[in-house]
Amino acid sequence: MSTSPLPGDSSNDPTDDQSGRFVRQPNGRVRPLSPHLQVWRWHVTMLGSILHRITGGALSGGAVLVALWLLALAFGPEAYATFTGWMGSPLGLLVWFGLTLCLAYHLAAGVRHLIWDAGEGLTPKSANALATGSIVFGVVVSVVFWAGLFMTGRVSL
Amino acid sequence: MSLGTKSYIKGVKVSERHGAGEWMQERLSSLILVPLTLWGLWSGWTLSGAGYEGALAWFRSPVNATLLAVTLLVSVWHMNMGLKVIVDDYIHKPVSRNTLVGLIGLLCVVLAAAGVFFIVRLALGSAPLPAGFGA
Repeated sequence: MSTSPLPGDSSNDPTDDQSGRFVRQPNGRVRPLSPHLQVWRWHVTMLGSILHRITGGALSGGAVLVALWLLALAFGPEAYATFTGWMGSPLGLLVWFGLTLCLAYHLAAGVRHLIWDAGEGLTPKSANALATGSIVFGVVVSVVFWAGLFMTGRVSL
Repeated sequence: MSLGTKSYIKGVKVSERHGAGEWMQERLSSLILVPLTLWGLWSGWTLSGAGYEGALAWFRSPVNATLLAVTLLVSVWHMNMGLKVIVDDYIHKPVSRNTLVGLIGLLCVVLAAAGVFFIVRLALGSAPLPAGFGA
């Protein structure tokens, strides 16, 4: 359990503090400010964790789109043409690019979690490297994937 | 595991209710999804721009149809757990939380059932819906 620094400690006197790291509680005690988003120093594992959750949520939307793809295909050529018309529009392609990004990142970040669960890569240095690596993997894989789709003529604007 | 039975693995206490089971399910579904996701990316590559006939041809391979059904079911399982954790973290009012978790469960069941239904029809080469319903 942490205690606030003692008043009178000239190097770190909370009653003298001008940095906003301490607040006076309603009971008069000086306590460190509770760490809200605004006062956390951003670090890459934190970004990695937030992105893992956001991409997971987005991929749930992607699962609905995949189900709609199956539905359109099962309803025959006209329904499928309508579906591919929407999904092949610039907005549709942007959505699918975003989903590719989410999938590639969530995959890498998920593997990162499995590594951590095995008890490996938990020092700050390796944890940061795994988080950065996951983000780089997600971006590189999705950009290469889509560049390939356009270059091979599978997809066009 | 019955309530109140304490057990330990490597000195770490195992949850007395359903926490340990959920933890295992999350990891198990993740592990299964790693190869399936790579296969899914490859399939997405194949199916992009393949058109209606190309997609039907893809479904005529039993391997593709089976892997897609497995990917869908494991993804929905994984998605249900993931969305539930998000709701548990941010929604504190029991009524709202339980309602949302219920709706997510319903969405997942509908996605799984509809998805498998369509995949089976496509794999069997059934006539397009709705005219060929039951055919």
